[in-house]
Amino acid sequence: MSNRNTKAPDVSSWPFNSVLVANRGEIAVRVLRTVQKLGLKGIVVYHAADRGTLAVKMADQAIEITGSTPVASYLDGAQIIAAAKASGAGAIHPGYGFLSENKGFCQAVEAAGIRFIGPTPEQIDLMGDKVRARNYVEKAGFPVAPSAIEDNDPATFVERSRKVGAPLLIKPSAGGGGKGMRIVRDLALLEQEIERGRSEGQRYFGDGRLYCERYIENPRHIEVQVLGDGQGNVVHVFERECSVQRRFQKIVEETPSPALDAAQREKICETAAGIARAIGYRNAGTVEFIFGQQGEFYFLEMNTRLQVEHPVTEEITGIDLVQEQLRVAAGEKLGYVQSDVTSSGHAIEFRIYAEDAARGYTPTTGPVLTLQPPQGEGVRWDSGVIQGGEVTAAFDPMIAKLIIRGKDRDDAIAKADKALRETVLLGCKTNTAFLRRLIQHPAFVAGDVHTGFLDANPQIAAEPEMAKTTLHALLSAASLSTRPMRDVADAVPNMHAAIGGWRN
Amino acid sequence: MHHAFKLGDAEHNLEISRGADGYRLHLIDDQTVPFDLKTGADGRQWLTLDGVHHEVVIATKGDDVFIHFDGEAYQLRYEHPLKRLAAAGGGAAEDRVMAPMPGSIVNVTVKAGDAVTKGQVLLVMESMKMETTITAPRDGVIEAVTYDKGQTFDRDALLLSLVALEKKK
Repeated sequence: MSNRNTKAPDVSSWPFNSVLVANRGEIAVRVLRTVQKLGLKGIVVYHAADRGTLAVKMADQAIEITGSTPVASYLDGAQIIAAAKASGAGAIHPGYGFLSENKGFCQAVEAAGIRFIGPTPEQIDLMGDKVRARNYVEKAGFPVAPSAIEDNDPATFVERSRKVGAPLLIKPSAGGGGKGMRIVRDLALLEQEIERGRSEGQRYFGDGRLYCERYIENPRHIEVQVLGDGQGNVVHVFERECSVQRRFQKIVEETPSPALDAAQREKICETAAGIARAIGYRNAGTVEFIFGQQGEFYFLEMNTRLQVEHPVTEEITGIDLVQEQLRVAAGEKLGYVQSDVTSSGHAIEFRIYAEDAARGYTPTTGPVLTLQPPQGEGVRWDSGVIQGGEVTAAFDPMIAKLIIRGKDRDDAIAKADKALRETVLLGCKTNTAFLRRLIQHPAFVAGDVHTGFLDANPQIAAEPEMAKTTLHALLSAASLSTRPMRDVADAVPNMHAAIGGWRN
Repeated sequence: MHHAFKLGDAEHNLEISRGADGYRLHLIDDQTVPFDLKTGADGRQWLTLDGVHHEVVIATKGDDVFIHFDGEAYQLRYEHPLKRLAAAGGGAAEDRVMAPMPGSIVNVTVKAGDAVTKGQVLLVMESMKMETTITAPRDGVIEAVTYDKGQTFDRDALLLSLVALEKKK
């Protein structure tokens, strides 16, 4: 990394000296860490369900918010702005999810005289609507996939979708995060699937409009991190590959992508920077692409916020992306150009989910009785959950992110296996054992995966047969940890037991 | 065998007894395995099994025992002898509709007293950002509906029950 990111910015000239984080969990912790590192005051809002979490503990000030559900409280922009005013916060960082890509919130924050750490409302509006974003990007001369857009002529939407041909993918226009997306392989089911997609879109986004696009078989998901200052300067911060997914949601993300050669890398990264430049982008952002097996790629969407998987980019470039967001929001220029952004090594992020991979990746809940995060050189653990906490159904099942940096991909995989082994979390089933099986799979080792890889290889998710030693170890340890069993055993004299074959 | 643990879907019957050197695990197949569990001065726990030492991390909550062993976490549930006896008396699984995963109710289309037919939609739940439809396991009459629209529940929560067939006779 060049020298410019290693030196801390001078915050004394910034228009704010406190930042309210309008989020929860690991991302609230992540943002607070940089806010406090810079000497700014970190404030967080929280719902009662999050009272015992790390973000609330580490914040300089924590303000309780309420709502009909825990999620609803984090979506209540008016209440959050009131909390910001009450605490004198000069800026609001929305994290990801919740209000991070809500134009109305962004406008309300700025109308209240508070800096929104993000893009302009117009940029949220443009990129938040997938259809408008797609049309804009296409007009600007960048590649997009064949599609049918309901808004263009709602009466003929089904017909036009049929013409795009199977397999196709139905998506909510206002969507994101895989919600409401459906693959249609049999066009006889098209109308039925459209109705389901519409219902989900309506519920999640309050907007039932849809669009269909050609489903690229066995595609890879490659995205590019960009940074813009809204003052004419945009750089890309290389790509991330996020092809290992279940239900359209990412599980493992890495950089550099094993799929790209140097020429392809430059082309896709420059395309992303070009899209960001075309809209005069301000903030950290991510341009997502669908990457076909022949090396063709199409614009998917642009996320105008910090991404869950941003740490892998930070690990190989040394750039603190949250710091860059804060600088830009404070009115600073980037102050560097593309050639100043360099990388070294390889980084992989694993999303540690409370879920049972063998049962269709269904979420699990439970208390966090014991938590011993892995440690060591190149091991980063981003989490908002602490021992004594609880994983509930109230929020997303992501417990933590384990980020591994290695000198190359093989080194990172080897370190990851060790770190996953050493991750101790008891009380709630997690996917760590599944992740170890995944990274040992020859296709993953070879970097040869696509977004349907886990569906095509269900044996990775299946619980392997248990070794006899393991079973005996578990039964032994469990027996001695169970009062009625231990008491009975200890009540029988050694001599009697020594005769052997004691049972009923 | 008086004691049992549930591990995954399997039930394991066993006993333990004191041995000359620690404990012995007695399994249903007549196998006996010597073992011991010791806590070091640093609080780390070591399981000795057949003379081999393994580091383990153990946590308990109620009847649940959570164990980190050889890089993986496991959950075992102690099955109380009385409860097992009661369960053996005959379950009416078809009378009870349980949640296949944690989630929340999107819509309930039936109420107590409604007659339903096998396969009829009873409710729509939401989990993992997707909708799942729950249908009637058999023909019958709804006895009770546990949750209203918008309420959340954990895995294996009782969502609905049907009037037991015996009662109707």
